[in-house]
Amino acid sequence: MVPLHWYLWLGSVVFAIGMFGFLTKRNVIIMLLSIELMLNGVNISLVALSHYMQDLRGQILVFFIIVVAAAEAAIGLAIVIALFRNKATAHVDEITGMKG
Amino acid sequence: MVELFFGYLAGAVVVLSLLVVFSRNAVHSVLWMLLMFLHMAGLYLLLNAEFLAATQVIVYAGAILVLFLFVIMLLNITEEMRLEQFTVGWPMGVSVSLGVLIAMLAALSGFRTDLKGPWSIEAVERTTHTKALGKVLYTEYMLPFEIASLVLLVAIVGAVYLAKKRLR
Amino acid sequence: MPVVLFLLIAAAFGLGALMMGGLFRLRRPYPEKLMPYESGIDPVGEPRQRFSVRFYVIAMLFVVFDVEAVFMYPWAVVFDRIGLYAFVEMLIFIFVLLVGYLYAWKKEAFRWE
Repeated sequence: MVPLHWYLWLGSVVFAIGMFGFLTKRNVIIMLLSIELMLNGVNISLVALSHYMQDLRGQILVFFIIVVAAAEAAIGLAIVIALFRNKATAHVDEITGMKG
Repeated sequence: MVELFFGYLAGAVVVLSLLVVFSRNAVHSVLWMLLMFLHMAGLYLLLNAEFLAATQVIVYAGAILVLFLFVIMLLNITEEMRLEQFTVGWPMGVSVSLGVLIAMLAALSGFRTDLKGPWSIEAVERTTHTKALGKVLYTEYMLPFEIASLVLLVAIVGAVYLAKKRLR
Repeated sequence: MPVVLFLLIAAAFGLGALMMGGLFRLRRPYPEKLMPYESGIDPVGEPRQRFSVRFYVIAMLFVVFDVEAVFMYPWAVVFDRIGLYAFVEMLIFIFVLLVGYLYAWKKEAFRWE
């Protein structure tokens, strides 16, 4: 039997990798992919907790997270397309229109 | 045996997520992500969550990643491979994510699992996973379910509005 | 255990066949052989051409309705237990998404030209 902590370690590591990607990549699309990585890190922790605590609520939560991830990807990528039309760039450090 | 499977799947997930973040070509990133999602689905299977594993493959690997690939093809940024891939503030990003990782790992020992719910492994197996999930989802979680439909409505309206602006 | 054995044999057979071929076949490359195959026609331009934004709109609608379909699996399985209650729930869910569908229709998201 795999102990619960292994899953929680894995979830934390995947979350941290996603966070690193989100904070450092220049390409907006890869940043959105990194958000999906972070959500997956949370998902694996939730499913593991739900399995070891014998309660299905964690898995229901994962289900809703998947729905929100789908909506977030659709809207986020639409924003990337709109941005690319206006600025012809997909790099975050070239988008300075709201700098004071 | 199960530990061996877990070791393989977990190692693959970590290596593949690093590859997603570190590859220069955005298309390669998406394809590594696809492999990573499939291994994640394997981990869900190890945790007896077969419906979630199927959902992971159908929604994440089958739909969301196709959307990402389409947008990368749409923008078609070919000079990407020669440019710097990280922002100038990357040491800050490394330290922040490392700090969060250490904080999370330090907090892990505080988890208690002695409070057991009604859905033991045998109970889930008796009713089958999809049925058990449906029972909880459509009775206890009715309101979040309807709110999920509103979230999807917002996704349709927002994405169509933003993407079709030029054509109208 | 038999599953693991089966997986190992399958992987070994596939890799083995590829590696044996690599060991024994002749290598005489020339430019035409190394060209990507496009049904006998000379390839023109880059493989990564710019896609139209219409593909994105269609893919986005696919994602949303894919998620809706995934919600229907557990609903269909427990429908006989919960009955009318679940039916009304699903009707509201589908109605809300139908509004989005009609919006996309009115904005001509489905029209190609």
